[in-house]
Amino acid sequence: MITALGALAALGATVSYIAGSGGRLSTVGAAAGSAGLVLLGIGLVLRWPLTIPWSVILVGGGYLLAREGNAFVDGWAAVIGVLLLVGAELATWSIEHDARIAAERALVVRRVVTLAALVVTALVVNFMLLGTAGVSASAGVLLAAVGVAAAVAAVAIVLRLVRS
Amino acid sequence: MTKYASPKLASYAGLSGAGLLTALVFARPELVALTAPFLLALAAGLALATPPRLTISVELDESRALEGEDVGASIVVESTTPVDRLDLYLRLPDGVELRDGANPVSLHLHAGERRELALQLGAARWGAHVLGPAYARARDPLGLLVWETTAETRPELRVYPREDVLRRILQPRDTQLFTGNEVSRHKGEGIEFADIRPWAAGDPVKRVNWRASARRGDLWVNESHPERNTDVILFVDSFAEARHGDAGTLDLAVRATATLADAYIGRRDRVGLIAFGGILRWLVPGTGVVQLYRIVDALLDTQIVLSYYWKEIDVIPRRTLPPNALVIALSPLLDVRSVGALLDLRARGYDLAVIDVSPVPFAPRPSGGLDAVAYDIWTLRREALRHRLQSAGVAVAEWRDDMPLQAVLEEVREFRRYARHARV
Repeated sequence: MITALGALAALGATVSYIAGSGGRLSTVGAAAGSAGLVLLGIGLVLRWPLTIPWSVILVGGGYLLAREGNAFVDGWAAVIGVLLLVGAELATWSIEHDARIAAERALVVRRVVTLAALVVTALVVNFMLLGTAGVSASAGVLLAAVGVAAAVAAVAIVLRLVRS
Repeated sequence: MTKYASPKLASYAGLSGAGLLTALVFARPELVALTAPFLLALAAGLALATPPRLTISVELDESRALEGEDVGASIVVESTTPVDRLDLYLRLPDGVELRDGANPVSLHLHAGERRELALQLGAARWGAHVLGPAYARARDPLGLLVWETTAETRPELRVYPREDVLRRILQPRDTQLFTGNEVSRHKGEGIEFADIRPWAAGDPVKRVNWRASARRGDLWVNESHPERNTDVILFVDSFAEARHGDAGTLDLAVRATATLADAYIGRRDRVGLIAFGGILRWLVPGTGVVQLYRIVDALLDTQIVLSYYWKEIDVIPRRTLPPNALVIALSPLLDVRSVGALLDLRARGYDLAVIDVSPVPFAPRPSGGLDAVAYDIWTLRREALRHRLQSAGVAVAEWRDDMPLQAVLEEVREFRRYARHARV
């Protein structure tokens, strides 16, 4: 229950940021984000893990719609990205949780610490990434190359998974 | 050990790939910031994932128990690699319940750590129960990859039925040749006085009845009944049973059979077993504690197996049914094959007593309508069936689960005491 509420709170905070961003399409973005929030709520109630990525896509898409027309890089995107990750992680935890399985207290603490470490690292990486992007905005080729390499790596992982 | 990817891995990889490609297409650094945490989680999770090397075994403190007793068990798990999250679950069969301890349980193991998870199991129902398998599911720190395996050991717990205490048991009509506790109807060497007869050459002097000899003016000797053993065959009908919840007619029959076997073997009688049903089981009559264990062990494997094969008493080996044996049948009288076999036994001259383990308490009467009429007809038919058996000279007593076994045996005893033996 706590994890489910945490997941909804994380995505809810993102949606409220989108609604308050004041962009040209912020209303549409907030609507998309709200749809993602509702989808996540349904997924948590019905324990459908497939709804998590779609909720993240809807909320993230809503954020991008709200940013439409703004030329400068939004520094809060680093926090938004981490909030999406926190939402996805907590939602996965909530759906995986089975009350019949007695978990040791140390295990729960360990999982919380792991998640916190991941969140902090992701936040640092995101800030560094946005900083780098701001500095090297003119050198778009390098950023594109890194991006493509990462995208290819992600696709390769998916293919490897499909094969196994 | 089976390895597979969790849905989380696929979704994170999909999100990362799609996010980065979209960032390239639309040239939006914010999209990279939204995607990077998922990519980081993916990379960290896969980098930290170590295939676990687990050894799991299930051990029981005791392999035999009585119904209702507690038995200690432990799941021993050992890992040479660190396991961040390990879910363990020991499947318990019907008849064995968890009294204390955590099952399933989720825990963390360090490299080289050995953990012993203690469980207190309750033997709720008789039977030969095989515990397990014990399932183990290990995950990496971020839950991207899952490994599953099962324990190789599956210990067996034999739960023996709890026995009633009997003050008196049914006495067979005929005795056998060997020494036992039953006073024979025949005359011979024994303790129980039977009659007097004129002295004959070879009679020992100690048997001379001096008082009778003085009155009659001739030598008369005492005759006595010898103490002999008997053959008892316990006939368990396993064609069908009536069951309601955790209780059923077969449970009652098995408990009563174990009680009777214990009582008769305690008297040095030879006891045999016939489980007449979908699967035919038999034990040639024998005596002693070993035979008692044989019977109880055979009873543990008794179960209702659906069968349409028409079985008659001829399928039972001849040695299993010795002449002059008392056959005590425990049957719910639900299957015509078992009823036919009982009548056949009686027709062959066996001393037969039937304990009708009543299925009526396990089948509540419908409130009304045609179902209630059908129920009434069924109970009337059962009464007619019992009357048919009684007409054939078979002692029949209905046993309901709220009655002690001793009361049913007394009812059978009374019938046998006053009924005439009939040849049918």
